[in-house]
Amino acid sequence: MNFRCLIRHLFLFLASAGALDAEEPVHPGARIYEKMCAECHGKNGEGVAEEYKEPLTGDRSLKSLTRRIAKTMPDDDPGACVGEDAAQVAAYIYDAFYSPAAQIRLHPPTIDLARLTVPQYRTVAADLIGQFRGGFQNPADNKHGLKGHYSGPAIEQPAPEPGQKPGEKKKKTQFDRVDKQVVFSFGAQSPDPASMVAEEFSARWEGSVRAEETGVYEFVIRSENGTRLWINDTKTLLIDAWVSAGAEVREEKKSLFLLGGRSYPLVLEFFKFKDKSASIELQWKTPHGVLEPIGEQNLSPQQVHPTMVINTTFPADDRSVGYERGTGLSKAWYQATVSGALAVADYVEANLGELAGIKPEAPDRVERLKDFSRRLIQTAFRRPLSEDQKQFVDTQFANAKSAEIAVKRVVLFTFKSPRFLYPGLHESEQPDDFDAAASLAISLWDSVPDETLFRAAESGKLHTRAEIAAQAARMLADPRTKTKVAGFFHDWLDLDRAEAISKDQQAFPGFDQAVLADLRTSLALFVEEVVWSPRSDYRELLQANYLFLNARLGRFYGKDEVGEGFQRVDFDKNERAGVLTHPYLMSALAHGNLTSPIHRGVFLTRSVLGLGLKPPPMAVEFENSKFDPTFTMREKVTEMTRNTSCMGCHSVINPLGFALEHYDAIGRWRTEDNHKPVDAAGELSFGDGEPLKVSGARDIAEFAVQSESAQKVFVRQLFHHVAKQEPAAFGPDTLDSLRRSFISSEFNIQKLLAEIAVIAASDGLPTAAAPLAQK
Amino acid sequence: MANPFLFNRREFLRNLGISTAALPFLCGLPSLTGAPLPQRRQRLVIMFSPNGTLPDEFWPEQEGENFEFKSILKPLEPFRDRTLLLNGIHNKVRGDGDSHMRGMSCLLTGSELLPGNIQGGSDTPAGWAGSISIDQEIKNYLQGRPETRTRFGSLEFGVAVPDRADPWTRMSYAGANQPVAPVDNPYDMFGKLYGQMKDKESLVSVLDDVRDDLKRVSSKLSARDKMLLDRHMALVRDLEQELQSHDGDAQLQHPVPELDPSIELVNDNTPQISRMQIDLLVNSLANDMTRVATLQYMRSVGQARMRWLGIEEGHHSLSHDPDGNQASQEKLKRINTWFCGELAYLARRLSETPEPTGEGSMLDNTLIVWTNELGKGNSHTLNNIPCVLVGGGAGFQMGRSLKLDKVAHNRLWLALANAMGHQITAFGKPALCEGGPLSLS
Repeated sequence: MNFRCLIRHLFLFLASAGALDAEEPVHPGARIYEKMCAECHGKNGEGVAEEYKEPLTGDRSLKSLTRRIAKTMPDDDPGACVGEDAAQVAAYIYDAFYSPAAQIRLHPPTIDLARLTVPQYRTVAADLIGQFRGGFQNPADNKHGLKGHYSGPAIEQPAPEPGQKPGEKKKKTQFDRVDKQVVFSFGAQSPDPASMVAEEFSARWEGSVRAEETGVYEFVIRSENGTRLWINDTKTLLIDAWVSAGAEVREEKKSLFLLGGRSYPLVLEFFKFKDKSASIELQWKTPHGVLEPIGEQNLSPQQVHPTMVINTTFPADDRSVGYERGTGLSKAWYQATVSGALAVADYVEANLGELAGIKPEAPDRVERLKDFSRRLIQTAFRRPLSEDQKQFVDTQFANAKSAEIAVKRVVLFTFKSPRFLYPGLHESEQPDDFDAAASLAISLWDSVPDETLFRAAESGKLHTRAEIAAQAARMLADPRTKTKVAGFFHDWLDLDRAEAISKDQQAFPGFDQAVLADLRTSLALFVEEVVWSPRSDYRELLQANYLFLNARLGRFYGKDEVGEGFQRVDFDKNERAGVLTHPYLMSALAHGNLTSPIHRGVFLTRSVLGLGLKPPPMAVEFENSKFDPTFTMREKVTEMTRNTSCMGCHSVINPLGFALEHYDAIGRWRTEDNHKPVDAAGELSFGDGEPLKVSGARDIAEFAVQSESAQKVFVRQLFHHVAKQEPAAFGPDTLDSLRRSFISSEFNIQKLLAEIAVIAASDGLPTAAAPLAQK
Repeated sequence: MANPFLFNRREFLRNLGISTAALPFLCGLPSLTGAPLPQRRQRLVIMFSPNGTLPDEFWPEQEGENFEFKSILKPLEPFRDRTLLLNGIHNKVRGDGDSHMRGMSCLLTGSELLPGNIQGGSDTPAGWAGSISIDQEIKNYLQGRPETRTRFGSLEFGVAVPDRADPWTRMSYAGANQPVAPVDNPYDMFGKLYGQMKDKESLVSVLDDVRDDLKRVSSKLSARDKMLLDRHMALVRDLEQELQSHDGDAQLQHPVPELDPSIELVNDNTPQISRMQIDLLVNSLANDMTRVATLQYMRSVGQARMRWLGIEEGHHSLSHDPDGNQASQEKLKRINTWFCGELAYLARRLSETPEPTGEGSMLDNTLIVWTNELGKGNSHTLNNIPCVLVGGGAGFQMGRSLKLDKVAHNRLWLALANAMGHQITAFGKPALCEGGPLSLS
């Protein structure tokens, strides 16, 4: 479409039913634009390589856009386009291409076919195999620690019976108890000095261990005695240190890749025989943690099934659109899926009897293995088998040398199939209940439908919006939803960045990896507390005046009274505003020894308030030594960004960043910076209306909870994370409509989450795709 | 030596009358040795069977080249001129642990056990071996040189080794406190050796189905979605081509062996499992995946019930019976003869397999050492431990029965290391190396 044609088209689109003058089809603003703006911005605002290459799109209001044009444009002659001209040209570009609505109209988003993301692949694989062990399991929340069984010869031995050699048939002392942790130093004594001899005794701890985040966990046993450890595998030892080697405490370690949000079976055995002393400590190093004893919060005396964990290395998912989604196909990715499929096949082969529930000599072995194969395909493809697929299974069993090889081939076929790898692949033009089930499972759990969901689809009970919504509501309670939501906060708060935090030890002595690990936990606990409380209130996320602290953090953040475990600690409400001032985030958005109002301001502008920012016109690195050493951080940043070309964005970034100047580089409350009082006050000008006065984090939080663009950006980001699609792909009004119901639900995050999943699952279902209920 | 054309540089120099002490000075002189000689692939296999032997049915009466095999060793008759019997080798390691533990876990290490918590039938409790075993020592040496480096360096085969880890079940050690577990499941060993290749075969067999399915799905998609799946399809094609061009089987000197898929890993199938493991061992040597291997039958104090020999009692219990118990002696003779038969099978398989790089058979370049943790079962002695050497791998003078005078077994391992090119002067406990390597050439 050429330019004139586009303009005509747009004009036609914009014009109301009023008369059209064929002689004069061009918007008066378009003439001005063509004359004064197009040279640098391109005919359609697409940008010009040597002039101003950024496309002319954004989220300013029309009024704000007008004022900005009047004030700054054209770049070489500001003041040449003011008053009515500025208003005309602003009106033209706003509707033609600048506004978000124009962008959606010009480039209507569609629902993109996407492959499983890496976390989705791992979850789906784990649950596909897990279904043969009774499905996803989670131990009860209220039981912690491990079940310990102690046993050893009793001190008091009965007199030997006639004919019995002394020492034969020793009487044993045994007892069970729940141990919060396995950290014991028995010294030269036994666990029960009154009844059990010290020379020889054993113990066995059983239960499960919970991994919060996905990654590599290092398990460490420290003991001078015999120990062995099984984790997530009841057959193969993770650590075998059964044979001791002298009086010194040995440290045995092994690493294991685990999926976050899941519990894994754990058995630890210990025995002492004539060693001089006895002790045992079970420690771990979590992916972002430090080596420490496994705490009771992560241990449960309840047994769980093992989980298949595929630790194949995959290339990172594409996040070029601002969130991770599976639209990038590369050879490396494909090869990873090959390795993944082979790993699953090996796992299935090694555990086939247990998974298929059959003994080697079972007479109906082949038939049972066929059942196993069909069920695997059905769950992986998220719908009943077609005739072709049933035939495929029979052919494999007929051709392979053994039934085991046939199963292995079925596994390879299943895990290589696009029906498995692309969860949004519709088998027919018309999506059906199975597609809805698949969508709900991937949106809320990153997984495949469980039995309940599959049954509902099978019996045609996922046909209406209400039916889908009822399933979504049920699914919220599953811990996998929590894992998905935790992933959202990881992305939203850019916790990848936090992983690289390193602070100047002179400025912040003692602020080490252990403190950072605690802060990460503290933030996770806070998010969990807010999101999974019944109110699930987005406003609390931004406005809460409490933090979760343990003793170590208490010492850092001025609450010496805090005890050992994590607990909720209230602060003066002017000192804390939810995630906005959480010390972990404040530390991440800061330099090694100084704050960084720009990093903080950019985060608030983009991710919290939802205001668009252009990339900076020039890259400027903050170099502390270049500034007057008596300056405060605020003064340094002000000087650094005073250039007009900077102030286009920094007029917003800076006051937001300055408002957080009460938080030092590790997020502690402060009143002085460089021996001067902190000045956190400022004004934000959005172009229309009165400028907003802010004097601290709380003002930003108050503003954010009632700002339309802040609400929208939260909804949009959650939508991206959950559905891996643009909201507008489900209709131009999707975002607005979700925002309205978010407000009317008192900003309930859980309800928003469910509604997003329902929208994604209802797409294309004729009976479910009715307009969203207006609230 | 069976084939006079096969020798390594050191033997060549020795034949010229130049001592190994001069070797470092000569190595850089091609004029002396002429064009680089093809390195022959020297290999070492250490085979273990437990619970001692019956000395009277084992050791020949005669010394020297004219000896007669006693009943237990009769299966070795076809390899008489390639066999070297070493009587008088003592395991002189003392310290913690009972005789079985020291017999087993000091057998290949030649040094004392670490203190520990494992209590045997007598003596003090003990832990793992305190130093590296000779097979791992030689492996490290071979892996350290590009010309002798192989994919695995060493392979540890087991037959009917119980699933437990203690000083009675491990003889191979990567270092102090680092036992190396033998793989006693032939299917696991097969997976380790050829797993990737078999996986590829399985993959190739389903790729056609994957592609057909992809076409079916693809035909129903929108143009935009189809684009993504077309790219996916191209990746499937790439993989297929790659799998075809890297046909691993073609690169192997010896084809992947076919394993009977239906052998259950139970005691009564031990004979079949033994033969599967030996076949895999020979195959892995022929394909040069390793040059060092161990083959461990059961474990020290093992109670295998060898019903395939018509014996119901456990092996260890039988080995405790006094010499006067004729029935038990008869059974023990059968048991040990069976082990010797497995050794003979291994030797036969090697002798029937042509050396992949040159002339002769693989047995010409392989030395098999068959040993035991005890000299005699019912006395628990560590003296006169069985040492039967078969094959030409070490360049020893074979076809002899030697009666040595209470020689520490460390000196045998020294001789072995030196014969494999690894010029060490001590191994294990230095005091037990006095006298240097045994001279067996």
